[in-house]
Amino acid sequence: MPKIMIIEDDKTVRDELALLLKNEGYQPIAVTVFENILTQVSELNPDLILLDLGLPGRDGFSLCADFRRNFDIPIIFVTSRDSAYDELNALSTGGDDYITKPYHVPVLLARIRAVLRRSSKKTEPELPSVNGLTLNPTRGTASANGKNIELTRNELQILTCLMEHAGEVVSRTDLIESLWDNRIYIDDNTLSVNMTRLRAKLDGIGLPDFIKTRRGMGYQIIACYSRQGGIL
Amino acid sequence: MTLTEFLSDRLRRLILQAVFVMAGTAFLHATGTQAGILLLLLLVWFFALIGTQAVDFLKCRSRLSELESIMDGLDEKYLFAECIPTPQNAYERRLLFLFKRAGRSMIGAVSDAQAANREYRAYVESWVHEIKTPITAAELICRRADKESGQKLSVELTQIKAHVERALFYARAESPEKDFLIRQISLSQLVDNAIDNHRSLLIQSGLRIETENLEQTVYTDEKWTVFILGQLLQNAARYRNEHPLITFSASQLGEQVQLTVSDNGIGIPAHELPRVFERGFTGSNGRSRGGSTGMGLYLCRRLAAHLELLIQISSEVEKGTQVTLTFPSRSNLTKS
Repeated sequence: MPKIMIIEDDKTVRDELALLLKNEGYQPIAVTVFENILTQVSELNPDLILLDLGLPGRDGFSLCADFRRNFDIPIIFVTSRDSAYDELNALSTGGDDYITKPYHVPVLLARIRAVLRRSSKKTEPELPSVNGLTLNPTRGTASANGKNIELTRNELQILTCLMEHAGEVVSRTDLIESLWDNRIYIDDNTLSVNMTRLRAKLDGIGLPDFIKTRRGMGYQIIACYSRQGGIL
Repeated sequence: MTLTEFLSDRLRRLILQAVFVMAGTAFLHATGTQAGILLLLLLVWFFALIGTQAVDFLKCRSRLSELESIMDGLDEKYLFAECIPTPQNAYERRLLFLFKRAGRSMIGAVSDAQAANREYRAYVESWVHEIKTPITAAELICRRADKESGQKLSVELTQIKAHVERALFYARAESPEKDFLIRQISLSQLVDNAIDNHRSLLIQSGLRIETENLEQTVYTDEKWTVFILGQLLQNAARYRNEHPLITFSASQLGEQVQLTVSDNGIGIPAHELPRVFERGFTGSNGRSRGGSTGMGLYLCRRLAAHLELLIQISSEVEKGTQVTLTFPSRSNLTKS
């Protein structure tokens, strides 16, 4: 569970952000005392730091420079200051990303995921596989029962999202958000069309009921085995 | 000054003089002065008159053209009185003194207004930054609220954010020097940022977005251009028809790059099209749907002018609207 440190002086934003991150499966650490932040960082050793620029006492830029000198932890600036000068300064002092308030929550989460993915030292992720279907994202194909199908970019992303949440119900809104995260800007109708085509393709390789429709809730892959191979 | 103007100024004086001379001549003639001497006197008088008037006219004309050229050379015309050369006579001196008094009070008023404007801009900027924190908090709380009210609140928050952003850019457009930074940036990054900023509005409006050919790079300020694209996205979402679709496509035009944003929305009537960039113009679409501020496109045009970005619009009712942004080429930017 990645640890995310929140350095933010507004109490409401800090608490709500912590709650949000907790619900998203991260372990949030909210900094409430803004002295000795460096010591706190070295003690708690977070995987990612969300850093506000306008802090009491010290400027976020100089803090960031200190973090960079002492630790190898990715930093995302989250701030309401949005002049070009601030952004340039943030990225040149060593920030990994820069998000301005007020942010769209799914966008913030996507940026956090992206920075964590870049910084995690994992090599070659194993090919995701659920219920006998193996996805090959780089080739854009999926295979099951010894048969192969080619997927379009949209279909691949839909399948990836559903397989990442195998067992859970994924709402249509969440699916659309996940597609938009990946720069595929589709609407509800297009999603339905893509879903129908995807199901037809899966039907063709002997997986007729791979994606279940949960009325009024969304879609679900009822997994016998998770991606990691453990029984759910 | 033309001769006619000069003569018309002096007409009454000249007529009066002529009447006196006539009366004098009549008197001299009646008291027995010879006609030859009278003629000689009249001729002398006439040439003296022509001579002095001509000199006056030339002096007057050269003085005026000197003053006019000083005025033309001034950037701030209201500083004119401070630049007038030494007065040539008592009358001019008095007039100049009046001009200077008027000028000084004008300079005072202008610099007061400028200072007030600067202060107001600074206040708007800091206010916008302050308001962002509570909006962020509200947005985060919204995620926890129950689904229906959460979604409704999120729509309202999106509106608030859009209004706040316009206020900020309105203040920025007034004195742009401070925060604009021309850099090389790819079109796809600009478009993706603009879409990210308005994502909830776009998804809720059921929009589909297609992009073509956005690999090209342009030289512009990222924030400002993203703001402009954001206004276009908001308009497309607001004035949408069934199955709304926005297409971003780019093309190379010599050294320039053109980005076209087209939608299949309700369109703008032809007679309103020339006015859409005007401040506060809402048009029949804005009136029938409500909530239009008439500021979005106005700000787009103002910011685009600072960025040397050409912005053009075309539209057909019930077919859709196309906005084309022409980015300046690099060589053009370095020249200016």
